[in-house]
Amino acid sequence: MEALVASVIGILFAAGVYLVLRARTFPVALGLTFLSYGVNLMLFVAGGMVFDRPPIIGTREAYSDPLPQALVLTAIVIGFGMIAFFLALAVGAKGDLGTDHVDGREGSR
Amino acid sequence: MNHWVIAPVALPFATALLTMLPLGLRAQRALAIASTLLLALISLRLVGLAGQGAEVYALGAWPPPFGIALVLDPLSAMMVTLTAFCGLAALMHALSGWDERGRDFHPLFQFQLAGLNGAFLTGDLFNLFVFFELMLIASYCLLQHGAGGARRAAGIHYVVLNLVGSTLFLVGVALIYGATGTLNLADLAMKVSSIAPHQEPAVRAAALLLMVVFALKAALLPLYFWLPATYGAAAAPVAAIFVVLSKVGVYAILRVHGLVFGPDAGPLAHAVDAWLMPAALATVAFGGIGALGASTLRELCGYLAIGSSGLVLVSAALGTEAGFLAAQFYLVHSVISVAALFLLADAIAASRGADGDRICRSTAMDNSMLYGILFFVLAIATAGLPPLAGFMGKAMVLVAALRDPAFGWILFIALTGSLLNLLALARAGIQFFWHCAHEPAPEIRESWRRNVSAAAFLAAVTVALAAAAGPIAAYASKSAAQHASAYAYGAELLKKGAEVLR
Amino acid sequence: MTFADIALPVIVALPFIGAVLPALAARASANRIAWAAAAVPLAILALLAPMLPEVFAGGAPRISLEWLPALGLNFSLRLDGLAMLFALLIPAIGILIILYARYYLSSDEPMGRFFVALLLFMGAMMGIVLSDNLLLLVIFWELTSLTSFLLIGYWSDRTDSREGARMALAVTGTGGLALLGGAVLLGHIAGTYEISEILAMGDLIRASDLYMPALLLILAGAFTKSAQFPFHFWLPAAMAAPTPVSAYLHSATMVKAGLFLVARLHPALAGTDAWFFLVGGFGLVTLVFGAYAAMFKHDLKGLLAYSTISHLGLIMLLLGMNTELAAVAAVFHIINHATFKASLFMAAGIIDHETGSRDMRRLGGLWRYMPHTAVLAIIAAASMAGVPLLNGFLSKEMFFAEALHVKELGAVGWILPLAATAAGVFSVAYSVRFIHDVFFNGEPKALQKTPHEPPRWMKIPVEILVAICLLVGVLPQLIVRPILDVASGAVLGVPAPDYSLAIWHGFNLPLLMSVVALAGGVAVYMSLQKLYRLHAHETGPWTGHRIFHGLHTGLLRSCAAASAWLANGSLQRYVAVLVGVSLLVGFVAFAQQIDPQQQTLLPVTAPAAAGWLVLVIATFVAVRRHRSRFTALIATGAVGLVVSAIFAYFSAPDLALTQLVVETASVILLVLVLRFLPQMSSLETLLRQRVRDIGLAALSGVGAGGIAWWLLTRPHHSISEYFLANSATLGGGTNVVNVILVDFRGFDTLGEVTVLAVAALGVMAMLGAGSAPREGTTPASRSVMLAKSAQILLPAALLTALYIFLRGHNLPGGGFIAGLVAGASGVLLYVANGIAWSEARLRFAYRSLLTGGLGIAFLTGAGSWLFGAPFLTSWHSHPHIPLLGEIPLATAVAFDVGIFLTVVGTIMLVLSTLGRLSPEGDEPWKPS
Repeated sequence: MEALVASVIGILFAAGVYLVLRARTFPVALGLTFLSYGVNLMLFVAGGMVFDRPPIIGTREAYSDPLPQALVLTAIVIGFGMIAFFLALAVGAKGDLGTDHVDGREGSR
Repeated sequence: MNHWVIAPVALPFATALLTMLPLGLRAQRALAIASTLLLALISLRLVGLAGQGAEVYALGAWPPPFGIALVLDPLSAMMVTLTAFCGLAALMHALSGWDERGRDFHPLFQFQLAGLNGAFLTGDLFNLFVFFELMLIASYCLLQHGAGGARRAAGIHYVVLNLVGSTLFLVGVALIYGATGTLNLADLAMKVSSIAPHQEPAVRAAALLLMVVFALKAALLPLYFWLPATYGAAAAPVAAIFVVLSKVGVYAILRVHGLVFGPDAGPLAHAVDAWLMPAALATVAFGGIGALGASTLRELCGYLAIGSSGLVLVSAALGTEAGFLAAQFYLVHSVISVAALFLLADAIAASRGADGDRICRSTAMDNSMLYGILFFVLAIATAGLPPLAGFMGKAMVLVAALRDPAFGWILFIALTGSLLNLLALARAGIQFFWHCAHEPAPEIRESWRRNVSAAAFLAAVTVALAAAAGPIAAYASKSAAQHASAYAYGAELLKKGAEVLR
Repeated sequence: MTFADIALPVIVALPFIGAVLPALAARASANRIAWAAAAVPLAILALLAPMLPEVFAGGAPRISLEWLPALGLNFSLRLDGLAMLFALLIPAIGILIILYARYYLSSDEPMGRFFVALLLFMGAMMGIVLSDNLLLLVIFWELTSLTSFLLIGYWSDRTDSREGARMALAVTGTGGLALLGGAVLLGHIAGTYEISEILAMGDLIRASDLYMPALLLILAGAFTKSAQFPFHFWLPAAMAAPTPVSAYLHSATMVKAGLFLVARLHPALAGTDAWFFLVGGFGLVTLVFGAYAAMFKHDLKGLLAYSTISHLGLIMLLLGMNTELAAVAAVFHIINHATFKASLFMAAGIIDHETGSRDMRRLGGLWRYMPHTAVLAIIAAASMAGVPLLNGFLSKEMFFAEALHVKELGAVGWILPLAATAAGVFSVAYSVRFIHDVFFNGEPKALQKTPHEPPRWMKIPVEILVAICLLVGVLPQLIVRPILDVASGAVLGVPAPDYSLAIWHGFNLPLLMSVVALAGGVAVYMSLQKLYRLHAHETGPWTGHRIFHGLHTGLLRSCAAASAWLANGSLQRYVAVLVGVSLLVGFVAFAQQIDPQQQTLLPVTAPAAAGWLVLVIATFVAVRRHRSRFTALIATGAVGLVVSAIFAYFSAPDLALTQLVVETASVILLVLVLRFLPQMSSLETLLRQRVRDIGLAALSGVGAGGIAWWLLTRPHHSISEYFLANSATLGGGTNVVNVILVDFRGFDTLGEVTVLAVAALGVMAMLGAGSAPREGTTPASRSVMLAKSAQILLPAALLTALYIFLRGHNLPGGGFIAGLVAGASGVLLYVANGIAWSEARLRFAYRSLLTGGLGIAFLTGAGSWLFGAPFLTSWHSHPHIPLLGEIPLATAVAFDVGIFLTVVGTIMLVLSTLGRLSPEGDEPWKPS
């Protein structure tokens, strides 16, 4: 199971990096989304990984590590805000520059 | 428990909320100026406070390492003061018209200050991440202030690079938490010093990845690409505060790598210095090259900021108490002087009509005498020439480096760097004030006349720094001493954190 | 507290403070300005006078004030013999220069600005010669470079002035930086920067293995400043300055700073072979080269400039000779050169001023027009040539005498006297040319104005200096002996040796050399005129000036090219570099051995495997078909769902919920945004680049996966026990994650919602009214089905949100998730009905929602101040209320409310802003 999860994180990072390296804003946005999926999972598993032990006091005799969960929750929300802003910026750039190329000018590489 | 410690975060935060209310520009301006002025005064008070010893502020009354703690020590106090003064100047400058060129300048600016101060004060790794993000989102927005295609394009680069950087930051946090199970920097300092061998690689990787993140912010080679375009595109007051922003990366390296991976970090002591030194040296060199190659004054300023980050980190990478001291000293001076030059560049651009701040022959400025004097002073300051503090800082770096194996390189590159800066600034000055037609620009906006007051204010501060060099260095040496004994300092912080609750 | 303790600092400070006087008087008459300026050097001399007796008696008044102890930089000043000599020369000549300049500058030139710069420069020079701290000396050293930049560029609208100023700054500034390096090294060797202490440690310094680098760096400073070959070229270029500047800086003072430094550090550094060959060698070459080049200059000031270079070389050579008498001769010639060269420059200035030309090919026969000036110039020139009964003769004789017995050269010792004589010949030749070409040699040719004598007062300074030349020349013993003794004593570090200053030493080799020089010089000049047709001579292409210019422009270009090549404006490259660097450091860190501290692994379950498969396929689709954007978007959403499932599967219900809602919100956001962006993007990146990207991506995957594997297979201990133990009792909630969020680490949460709020503000500021995109808005699909369901959904969603919120503290949920749910449902409504309809129905002022939310959260935190508790300290109890039962009542809940409102506000604000951009959003939708 660990291998499975580790591979998932690896795949998410690979996909994220590849998409972030594209030349257009939209794929880059998707790439950033993938990267945040990946890193959130990574942060999550930093606290270990257990079945069926949600950290709700009084429900079990042992619990999963709650702190990374809190951190990841914060990270998810921050990531959402960032992506939202980036998308708006992409729209603004398209409007003002007439292109969705990440360098703000067509055909530049 | 001294509640003043959190004021640098709480005050701008509250001001931001108030300026979000529909009050009208005049009220917003009054609020912003008053609050930032107050912030400057408070920060001076905090400098005094930190001088007597570190203050720990346990948020929510939860003892560190479990709760988040703010730490006020000479280093953080100095950075907060720096932010307050540059912020004040930038705001003064903004009032001459910049803040009307887009929505919500004042709330965004205050959030920016809150984010910066939070990053400087926090003693918790993840909380540092949160405040980095706050500071960044504010800067993303401020960069777009005043619209314009150039700002959009620069913004996309800036945002994407920093979002990737944030991802790396979290990877670092994950590794550190996975290996040590804690987030409080002081606690980390102690845990890392007795790290189990099998966990060493993870923590080392974390240290290096965090260094990359901070180096990206500090615009260290080869990660500086974003800075010149971003600063060149930003509105003048925004660019001025961005100078502090880029130094947050430098600060974070001083703080995290100074405290957690400092001399007491056992096998991980100075984990990053070997990487940092060459990168920093290259940065100084390319800062100089870029400055000489710059085509506008603002681009030149951007490269000056890059070069100064480089020199500060060269000094930090020495990993010695003297190096740490020199780093702080030069940091303070360079931030103030480069920020001032950014503001002056705006005034120059405004009074040169169509040519703006392009380094070329153009029409004469009607108030060139005043501008000329300011430029002369600031050029001396930013090029690190005597008699201003930049020169002393550079000399301190060289003296600190005397026993370092790389001394030859450091000497050569530091001196070459400032020579290139000198040439670049001389070139700019000649074009702006000597090589110009006699008739002034046709159209000059009246509202810009007040502009230089902010730049003049900061220029005066740089001169004051030179005069008060002795006391300032003495103050900075306190945090240099703490850095030299990181473990003891970490223990002291945790003890204080526990005490304050009773 | 002696007189010196006050006088010395005042003397250095005075010019800097006094510089305001001419600035203030700038509007006043020329005389007023000149007097204001002259007041400063006069005051300096007055302050010096009382200290002179002590110095002549061998004393050296000193004062030291701490400036930057951490660096060893002190404000230490010391007035010994050498310092005194210069401290008298600088203001004394300064006064003459000011008087001269008052008549030289025309009334329409900004005289105030000129004198301000001149005084600043004077202050810097006084600082150099009085400093007793090496770093302080370096500070003033660079100040002379900066101030001379202003003086040389005074006529800033002239290209040659700008070039000259730039060149002088570049060369001397570079030297100054080298000097800084040398000073740091020397201070390191000696363990102090106090010069008087350093001078006492000569042996220790010469023995150190850092001696050589220190020496080289220091000499680099001295040679550039004193225009030694091959750093000489800036000096002729600096002749573009007004003549008073040339007379002051480039004869008497600034160029002497290099010599002063060498003399100052003589006791500490001299005496080694390295010293002899470096200092002496450069001096010798410069001496001969300068004298030779001077003969071929047609410009009066050009001739004087090269002659100055040659004389500087002579003095440098003397200082390098390592003999006591040579040092005496050096000091003596410093005095003499200052006098005759300053007067010659002034004379040249007068000629320029009154004839409008400095070109010796056009001048000539001026004897008839300005006899008085001619006499003065001729005497000064004769002194320069070393004619007996003039001061120049005496020091040159001493030089010849010293040249004759030098030990270091051994067998080839004859070279030195030979070269000395040759230089003598040349200097006589150019002196003769100066006199003959200007005052005799036919008639002036094509001058703008008819030449005439200058105003009376303009000649006074020249007369004074020439008088000194004569007096010293005739009565050396009486006039200069005392100061010569103390000054050279200071240079040697021991009392000056016995020497005779007589004019007549009988028939001896030095005398013979002088005679040869005089006769030969005249002969050389004649032959040059007759045979070579001197006036036709043109300078070759390889002048230092041109070389510098080439280098400078080349440097500019290559720098611009380099930075343009590095920062080429391509984000893809920047990101690639960032990723590459991270991979590098990451892999290096993990490269070392990792002992597999495995723990028992969890078994792979069927659902997990299924989920894995879904995720892999979806990811593959998203990447492979990323150019057809809608498909990629849907695939991404699917991946998000699997991630949320993973959270749920591994005991993180809150995360699962959050991820789920955030996913919904962001997918909707992406759909909205997609309306403004192209639906497809063409394949445009090169194959090479795609391969690079795939490589980077693969490595990142391996790296991240590896890290995750490492994290998953290590035993884990953390501080979380504390939270589990205290959440219920101290935090007042059983959902530990939520308690951490709103209480243990509430500060994080506050920061995080602020990030959301700021993002919303930014979006609004960027895309809000007035900044709508010009193109690319396709109408959003609107379906009645969806609309109806949304209308039903909304209340339900809000209820759910409320429920999730309330249970949050004890069960999965809380302010965030509730807010996201509410927000998401709002989003759904927008999509279903379009902006106008929704705006009409949900008239929330989203902005105030957001402000209010943040305000509540902040105030809850600040409230604890009232109880003297730190920010965000929580309070809670569980009152039992009829019907509702026991409900949690905690300040944390208020905090959570704030968060809830902020989240809702943010989502709606971002969304409505993006929605408004759509044109179809304006026309209202009528329900059927």
